[in-house]
Amino acid sequence: MKLVYFDDFKLGVVKDGQVMDVSAVVQDIPHMGPHDLISRLIERFDEYRGRLEQAAETSSGVALDGVRLRSPLPKPGKLVCMAVNYMEDGTRDEPAPINAFLKASTSVIGSGDTVILSKDQATVFEHEAELGLVIGKTATKVKAGDWRDYVFGYLNFIDVSSRGLGSPPMDSFFPTKSPHTSAPMGPYLVTADEIPDPLNLTVHLSVNGDLRQNYHTSDMAHKMDECMEWASSIVTLNPGDLLALGTNHRGLGPLQDGDTVIMEAEGLGRLEVHVKDDQKREWRRETRLQRTEREAAEASR
Amino acid sequence: MKLAFFNDFTLGVLKNGNVVDVSEAVNDVPHVTPSDLINGVIADFSRLRNRLEEAVAKSDGVPVSQVRLRAPLPRPGKIIAMAVNYLEFGAREMPTINAFIKSSDSVIGSGDTLVLPPAKANIFHHEAELGVVIGKEASNVSAANAYDYIFGYVNFIDGSARGLGNGSFFWGKSWDTFGPMGPCVVTGDEIPDPQNMAVKLWVNGDLRQDFPTSDMAHKIDKCVEWCSSVTTLEPGDIIITGTNHQGLGAMQDGDVIEMEAEGLERLTFNVRDDLKREWPHGIDQATADRVAGRSTTGGFGEPASR
Repeated sequence: MKLVYFDDFKLGVVKDGQVMDVSAVVQDIPHMGPHDLISRLIERFDEYRGRLEQAAETSSGVALDGVRLRSPLPKPGKLVCMAVNYMEDGTRDEPAPINAFLKASTSVIGSGDTVILSKDQATVFEHEAELGLVIGKTATKVKAGDWRDYVFGYLNFIDVSSRGLGSPPMDSFFPTKSPHTSAPMGPYLVTADEIPDPLNLTVHLSVNGDLRQNYHTSDMAHKMDECMEWASSIVTLNPGDLLALGTNHRGLGPLQDGDTVIMEAEGLGRLEVHVKDDQKREWRRETRLQRTEREAAEASR
Repeated sequence: MKLAFFNDFTLGVLKNGNVVDVSEAVNDVPHVTPSDLINGVIADFSRLRNRLEEAVAKSDGVPVSQVRLRAPLPRPGKIIAMAVNYLEFGAREMPTINAFIKSSDSVIGSGDTLVLPPAKANIFHHEAELGVVIGKEASNVSAANAYDYIFGYVNFIDGSARGLGNGSFFWGKSWDTFGPMGPCVVTGDEIPDPQNMAVKLWVNGDLRQDFPTSDMAHKIDKCVEWCSSVTTLEPGDIIITGTNHQGLGAMQDGDVIEMEAEGLERLTFNVRDDLKREWPHGIDQATADRVAGRSTTGGFGEPASR
C-alpha cells in the first residue's frame, strides 16, 4: 500500500496514479496533528489495513499530479541517518566503521516543495539520494535476524548536505545536515510487502534531467539487519521514526538556484523538489566522479 | 513557577518542597501524551498562568519525597546540544559555534537510573548543563529577541560515552537513559540572570563540577539565534548549552549523582552498570587538561602519548 498526505494533510492511498482520500478511516485515532497521526496509524496498521483497502476501493480518486503532495512523515520522532554506508561501487576495500547522526525532523519537506539553501558559507550543497526505512514498531536491542519484524515500509529520502560548516574536520552534523528544508522525502510511503528485496533496488537522482546518482542498494555497506541491530542497541526506535540507509557518494553533485531534482528508488515513486538560493551561488555542474576524472585528465596533460 | 510531572505523569507545581497537583487547571489543553500536554502548557502559558497560580495557592500539596518524579519534558521534540561551549575558566579561545542533536528518547527523570551500555567506551562522563526550554516557535530569531522565545530552564546531564566510533556524537551521546533532566522546568521570570548561575554536580556527595554560566562561550541569546537559523525550534524543545569540562569524572555502577544549577532545584539519579566496570573516582584531570589546552594528548579515557 502507498500512503500519502495531500492538500491540507489529508491521508490518502495511491493506486494507479490516483489518490484516494481515506482520512475518514483513521479519524478515531487520537492525534495532535498529521505527524503523530501517521505514526499512530503505523503502530496499529494491522487493525486498519483492511478498512484502508476497502476505502481505497470505494472512494473516487483524484489524479496524483493534481494535488499538493505533503511529506508522508511530516515530523518523524527521529531521523537517524547512517553515515558513509556504501561500498562506492566496490572502490572501498572494506566498509567504513558503522556510524550515524541525527537530523532535525523540523527540516522535513515533501514532494513539490523547495529546498532553500542557507545563507551560511558552505563550500557546496550536495544531494544525497537515500533509501529511507520507516520503523513499524518499537525497537530496542533488536537482533539482526529479526530486523524485518520492525520495518513498516520505505520511502525516497534526500539528505541535503551543507558541506564545511561547523568546526571541520569534526562534523557534529547539526549545521551540515539539519538546516531548514534539508530533508525532502516522499512522494509517499510504501509498505514493506511491496518491496520484498530492498537490497535489490536501483536508486536514481537527476538534476534538471541529467542523471547524477545511479546506484544499486546491493552496494550498501552495513545492510538493514546490521543497521537496525546497531542503531536499536543505542536508542529506542519508535513507529514512524526514519532510518536513512546512506548514499553512494560517486554521483553526488551541487544543488543550486533554479534546479529541479528528481529522485526515484525503484518502486517508491518520484520525489521532486526545487532549489532556491537567494545568493545565486554557482558551482560546476558535475558529479564527484566526473570531477575526479576531469582533475585526473587535467593533471596528466 | 516550577513545573514537574509526578507519579503517572500528573502535572504538578513545586512549592516549598511539596508538589501540588495542577492537572485540573490544564484539563482543556489538547494532548494525547504527557509530552503533548507539557508542550501545550508551555505554548499557551500566558493564558494558563493565572489558573495554575490559583491552583497552587489553594493547596499545600504533598511532600516531593512521597511521589515519583518524572522528567518534566518526557520526550522533547528536539534536544540540541551545544558542543564545546565553555571557556574552561578562561583557558581557551572562543570556539566556533557548533552543536549536535541528542536523541529525545534518552530522557529520564529525577530518581531514575542511567544505565551504562555494554559498549566498550573508554569512559562514561557526566556533563552538567543548563537546559534552555523554548517557549514559542522560533525560526531565524535574532539574538536581541532571543529571550522572547525562551520559556524557562532545566537541569540537564549530557551523559557521554567516550571513544566510540571515532567521536561519533550519535554513538557517544544518544544512548537510552543518557539524558537525565529535572526535577522541574523553572519559568524564566524566576531566573533573572541565566548567565550568572552556579552549576554544581556531585557524585556520591563529592563535588565534581562547579562552574558559573558566565563562563559560557556563546551565550544563550547567541545559541538561540544560531540554532533557529539552522532549523525551527518549537515549544518544549531544549537547547542544552554545554558544559565546563574542568570537573568531569567517570560515572560508574552504584553512583548517585546530583546536579543543581542555581534556582532549578536538585536533580538526582542513579547509575547502573551490569558489567561493573571501574574507573578512578574524582575529577578526570587528563580530560580537564586536554580541553583547557594544558596538554595536547590524553583525556577522554585515552592514554597520553609521549
